Amino acid sequence: MPSITIKDNSLFEINKSCTLIIKSDEVNIEYNLKDGEYNILIFNDADCNIVINDKGHINNSIVKLNYLELNNYDYIQNSNVEVDKSSQLFVVSTYLGVNSKKIIYDLVNAGKDTVIDITNNIICLDKADFSLDCIGTIKNGAKRSICHQKSHCLTLDNPKKARVLPVLNIDENDVEASHSLSSGTLDEDILFYMNSRGLDKKAALGLILRSYLMPNDNYYDGFIDGDTIKTLVEGKVNHLCSI
Amino acid sequence: MNSLVIKDLHVSIDDKEILKGIDLKVNEGEIHAIMGPNGNGKSTLLQTIMGHPSYIVTAGSITYNGEDVLKMSVDERSKKGLFLAMQYPKEIAGVTNSDFLRAAINARLDKNISLFKFIKEMDKGISSLKMKEDLAHRFVNDGFSGGEKKRNEILQMMMLKPSIAMLDEIDSGLDVDAIKLVSDSIINMKNENNMGLIVVSHYERFFTSIKPTHAHVIVDGKIVVEGDSELVMKIDNDGYDWLYDELKIQPVKENRPLVYSLGTCAKNPRGNNA
Repeated sequence: MPSITIKDNSLFEINKSCTLIIKSDEVNIEYNLKDGEYNILIFNDADCNIVINDKGHINNSIVKLNYLELNNYDYIQNSNVEVDKSSQLFVVSTYLGVNSKKIIYDLVNAGKDTVIDITNNIICLDKADFSLDCIGTIKNGAKRSICHQKSHCLTLDNPKKARVLPVLNIDENDVEASHSLSSGTLDEDILFYMNSRGLDKKAALGLILRSYLMPNDNYYDGFIDGDTIKTLVEGKVNHLCSI
Repeated sequence: MNSLVIKDLHVSIDDKEILKGIDLKVNEGEIHAIMGPNGNGKSTLLQTIMGHPSYIVTAGSITYNGEDVLKMSVDERSKKGLFLAMQYPKEIAGVTNSDFLRAAINARLDKNISLFKFIKEMDKGISSLKMKEDLAHRFVNDGFSGGEKKRNEILQMMMLKPSIAMLDEIDSGLDVDAIKLVSDSIINMKNENNMGLIVVSHYERFFTSIKPTHAHVIVDGKIVVEGDSELVMKIDNDGYDWLYDELKIQPVKENRPLVYSLGTCAKNPRGNNA
């Protein structure tokens, strides 16, 4: 069974399907995930900043982790996941860059025949000060391990407001590893194409924002009252698209 | 009557003059073939009419039903009824065809199109163009073959129902059967909506299918000769050399950037880095 441990007496409410309602501004989470797909929605509309430190261990499992982070205020995330014993971890993270956000992923291939694959999608709006350090480490002895990371960063205003750093630390010979990063503003020709179909700039940006921020309908199935959460997210995306 | 009028149009890109005084009038129901050697201004003309920001109009005018097109934003031109089917349609990863088209249709309506009506119309278009059934849920042009992209342009045209449509080499990338299918669809649309067409193509086969009422040849940024479908036939048979001799003109030679290989430092998987 998957387990989640709350440390440091952070104030949490946990319901049966592990929807966490965070009531403090700094939380420390330790988890031990088993085979399955886990959707993590970090959605904060309140006027407070959040720090999340999560530490995961994955053994003998294939795990898919989907992060969707839509906080309105400052946000710090430190994620450390150790993948061991022929396990596979697939992470897709999506971040909305508003205000100050600092994300650090520290993903470790700790044992032989382990796989880590992470894709980060980032949209930075006005006033964003976004930074992502995505660090993949293949430990000595983790033979035949695979570690791939991709990051896509779309800045709608000043491209200097986003900093994405892909890092690979490899201490084993017999491995497969790669990292890639694409960063930039919206392509002028794509905008022209969308405009030429009658969409003004706001509508065009709205469609693109939605495509980044709204995962498929299945995303919400894992949450208690998924429909309510979906409506909340849609409301937030619609609001952003109308700015 | 819908009418697009272009007078003495001069257009530059990166300070280089591409169009050097184009005059053209397109009324609804007419089909104008635009021909000419590569790099002489055909696509520039269409992109300028649609309002691509890279093309700077330095002189002349474009009006549509008496309104100044050059003062309109690109989306306003589209909403007025202009449509450009592009030679190289852009890929928009993450945005599905259905979301894109529905937003485009809603942008020109006072009241949003009902989901039922939209799906019905889109399915009809997909079926008539013999496209894959999952098209609605695929991202716009993402991973499409060249032919699929061109059919998708025609599907968008079907759904948006423009009054003047411009087709920029829409036949390139299509096989013989697809050309017939696409040209039949274009003719059906034209007959239904009495739309006017400006068609850029190099192929007589395509022009034979859509039967242009007017033909124009652009050389070095100017329309140097005009006619009808007979002119199209003559160019297909004889090329452009007779024109250059007769009019004592020279085409602009297309400048394509030279591509050099810098080699590779990648290791050859077979072990030799030859």
